[in-house]
Amino acid sequence: MIKITNLEKFYRTEEVETIALNKLSMEVNTGEFVAIMGPSGCGKSTLLNILGMLDDPDNGSYVFNGVEIAHFNERKRADLRKHNIGFVFQSFNLIDELTVFENVELPLIYTGVSSADRVKRVEEVLDKMQIMHRRNHYPQQLSGGQQQRVAIARAVVNKPKLILADEPTGNLDSSNGNDVMELLTDLNEQGTTIIMVTHSEHDARYSHRIIRLLDGQTVMENIMV
Amino acid sequence: MLKNYIKIAWRNLYKNKAFSLIHILGLTIGITVCMMIFVYIMNEFSVDKFHAKGKRMYRVMRTFDELKEGVPYLSGPYATALLNDFPGDIKQAVRVQPNQGLISFGDKAFVEKKLYNADADFFSLFSFKLLKGNASSVLKDPSSIVLTETTAKKYFGSIDNAMGKVVTLDKQKQLKVTGIAQDVPANSHLNFDVVVPLSNYFNEDYFKVWINNGLFTYVLLDEHSDKAQLEKKFPQFMDKYMGKDMARFGAKFGLKLTALNDIYFEPASAFDNVKHGDKTVVYIFISIAVLIMLIACINFTNLSTIRAVERSKEVGLRKVLGALKNHLVLQFIGESMLLTIISCILSVVILIAAMPWYRELLGYNVSASWNSAPIYLFLAGVIVVIGFLAGSYPAFFLSAFSPIQALKGKLRLGKSGAFFRQSLVVVQFSISVLLIIGTIVIMKQMSFVKGKELGYDKEQAVIVQLDNNDIYNQMSVFKKELESNANIASVSLMSGEPGGFHDMHTFEAEGQHDKFKSRTEFADFQFVKTLGVKIVAGRDFSPQFTTDSTDAVLINQTAAKKLGFTPEQAIGKQIKNTIRDDKPRRVIGVVKDYNFLSLKENMDALIISPAMDRRVAVIKIKAGNIKNSLAVIKQVYSQVAPVYPFEYSFLDQKFDTTYKTDIRQQTMLAIFSGLAIFIACLGLFGLASFTAVKRTKEIGVRKVLGSSVPNILLLLSKDLLKPVAVATVIAIPLGYYFMHTWLQNFAYKTPLHWSIFLFAALITFGIALATVSFKSLNAALANPVKSLRSE
Repeated sequence: MIKITNLEKFYRTEEVETIALNKLSMEVNTGEFVAIMGPSGCGKSTLLNILGMLDDPDNGSYVFNGVEIAHFNERKRADLRKHNIGFVFQSFNLIDELTVFENVELPLIYTGVSSADRVKRVEEVLDKMQIMHRRNHYPQQLSGGQQQRVAIARAVVNKPKLILADEPTGNLDSSNGNDVMELLTDLNEQGTTIIMVTHSEHDARYSHRIIRLLDGQTVMENIMV
Repeated sequence: MLKNYIKIAWRNLYKNKAFSLIHILGLTIGITVCMMIFVYIMNEFSVDKFHAKGKRMYRVMRTFDELKEGVPYLSGPYATALLNDFPGDIKQAVRVQPNQGLISFGDKAFVEKKLYNADADFFSLFSFKLLKGNASSVLKDPSSIVLTETTAKKYFGSIDNAMGKVVTLDKQKQLKVTGIAQDVPANSHLNFDVVVPLSNYFNEDYFKVWINNGLFTYVLLDEHSDKAQLEKKFPQFMDKYMGKDMARFGAKFGLKLTALNDIYFEPASAFDNVKHGDKTVVYIFISIAVLIMLIACINFTNLSTIRAVERSKEVGLRKVLGALKNHLVLQFIGESMLLTIISCILSVVILIAAMPWYRELLGYNVSASWNSAPIYLFLAGVIVVIGFLAGSYPAFFLSAFSPIQALKGKLRLGKSGAFFRQSLVVVQFSISVLLIIGTIVIMKQMSFVKGKELGYDKEQAVIVQLDNNDIYNQMSVFKKELESNANIASVSLMSGEPGGFHDMHTFEAEGQHDKFKSRTEFADFQFVKTLGVKIVAGRDFSPQFTTDSTDAVLINQTAAKKLGFTPEQAIGKQIKNTIRDDKPRRVIGVVKDYNFLSLKENMDALIISPAMDRRVAVIKIKAGNIKNSLAVIKQVYSQVAPVYPFEYSFLDQKFDTTYKTDIRQQTMLAIFSGLAIFIACLGLFGLASFTAVKRTKEIGVRKVLGSSVPNILLLLSKDLLKPVAVATVIAIPLGYYFMHTWLQNFAYKTPLHWSIFLFAALITFGIALATVSFKSLNAALANPVKSLRSE
């Protein structure tokens, strides 16, 4: 599904150039659950942003579903992204002014789904995440665990092929964290590819494979059994 | 999607109530002021536009050598001669003679000050609507009279009741009510309560004399006729009818045409007493509207940007979830339009509520025409233009950010952005300082004019108009009776009180080759004493010299100077009024220049002659009991003119009347500049809040490191006040230039002292500092632990 080759990304300030990704190459197959680990500043988030088409690489190739997208413009990337990728963030990133239902509905609005279909699909996914009873609440009225469920619901409502999760349990206690990991595992078992950045060895154990990064390069790959 | 946007916009508004209030309030004030000015301007430009034939209608003006702009008063024979000599060009000619009269019936009597004597075609040429009666026939019969609705109701209770009733005009003519006209709208230069057929006066001697004046003549040109071509034929016309008179008086008269729609904006003068507007005021108001709107727009943009930055997470998320740049641009512009719509609705409500107050301020009856398109076009324009303009900067600014940055809430308003926002603040405050300078200078000028030595004694002088037959015929009795009363110091009958009517006449003066033009005053021997005018050479009129009334004149210093004499040399010189006198008079005295004209006009030559032309009585009362003195005057008045109500005014009030418009402008400018600085401060307050929030961490760190509260206060305020300082520096020279130009309207000007500008700068700084400190102090006093944790 994903094949990156010799990916490079630099950050420049006026005086210093920092290498975030240093000729990084890796592959992720459809249906895989991959965890990316490494210390702060190793390039995990940069990699996730590029994989999520929120950022573009300076050099190298990124093939998504057989299409080279490294040179895509913003509009094309946005289009590809909204149909194929769902995001889960550490800090949930729900819009405070929208209710649970409206937050989950948002991606469907941008992909042009009809109003009736939207209601159906949002209710379906809220039901699945067991937060239907909270549909008219605002994010700040929910616990952290509930907020992350809403965020996951929002990530999957468009039935994406790939979910990118950036430390999804980072802001949760262990019990809520486990629930979230179970949810992600369920999604993966239903066929969704998942790439997750995490600091937690515990969470990483839910994955099929761990990629360890250091200074923008792969230093080790563990296959989980 | 739209629903989603509106929902978010609304919830955002609701969430930050204080901020929303600032945001909406500033714009609402701006729009309200603009609408007020818009309504005013619409009214100004609508004057006389309701006449169906207006585009082909002209008022005939008579020019007179130096009076190039002309005077609108003609004599009776012109209309007939014009119709007769130019049958192809002039299709209709209607004369209107502004007059006043006593209308009586039964035991009731009313003095009507707005009585017009008009030709029978009056109502068919002008589109004044008749509620009763037929436009073409209503004035046909000389013994008919048309009343306005209000007048009819005042006389007879209802318009139906009034029709057919007989009233008496000036205790002589019996007239039957044949028509009722709708009240004259405020946007008409002509204004009447009663119309009487002019045909009643066709046989009067004065009516047939060409040189006389006293009537307006309006003509309707043929559709194919050209004004300029027609005007070219006028000199010949004047030679034909006025040739002899012109030769006799040594004056050159001409004719020209003023389009009906241009009459209103002609300058008002003592020679043209119809209602006039002032284009300068219109332009000043338009400028104020534009400036205030600019301030409000800038506020709106700045506040929207700040607000948008606080929503960077939302923006980032929307991008991650697939929103394209144009989605976001649309969303933010839409929100900005929503705010504008709310402001517009509020403005309309405020405008309706403030209308009575606004009418009083303007001094006439403006009305917002809610049933006509322009006001809605204006509002729609405001929504589109402001909503769009003010919304587009934050829209494009935000949507250009990378979603990752936006999501992390790391939107930094960059250096260039900061510069842009500060420039906007500079513009806002430049305008505010400019308006404050304007207000101060206008106020100073008014008080300067008020306090100016006028050269005559305006205290305790009562003016009574000699404006009806009874008082006119009995004026010497009136005067004698008053003079014999102990409460009265002196009485003088004259043609015009200071600030009043001083006709321009042509003179032949000794030692002058050319004819000499001068303003005139015709007054009795008590003139100098009553007005307290000083004699600088020669002597006053005196009954001891029996020939004074026929042989003597006084002139003012300016007249002496124009004739090339010192006051002493002028004494004994011969001078002849070519219009009034058959033989020359001798200058017996020179009076010190006194301000007989408005202070806007330069001092002019004045020749004071005892020849007959009495229009007002100026009565100097003795210091002490004004009430008693007025009672005395009233009693004497009612003896000589029993039917007429006693009306009077004070000479010192005349000043306020003369400067009414200026005083109004001053009030309005003060209000508008107050509002402008208020709006600008709302924006500054918003910026201050934003800065305080943005620099929370910095303030925390500084405090941990030992910075004191005053230090932090200074740090925050300094940055915020920098644009205000720049604005002041820009506004002061501009203010000097504009106010210097404005002062050229006045013949007597207050000096533009540097303290005015310092004062304006101090006011602005004071207000801005107060605004900024409030927020900065809050930030400086906050617990550093709290502010550091928030990062």
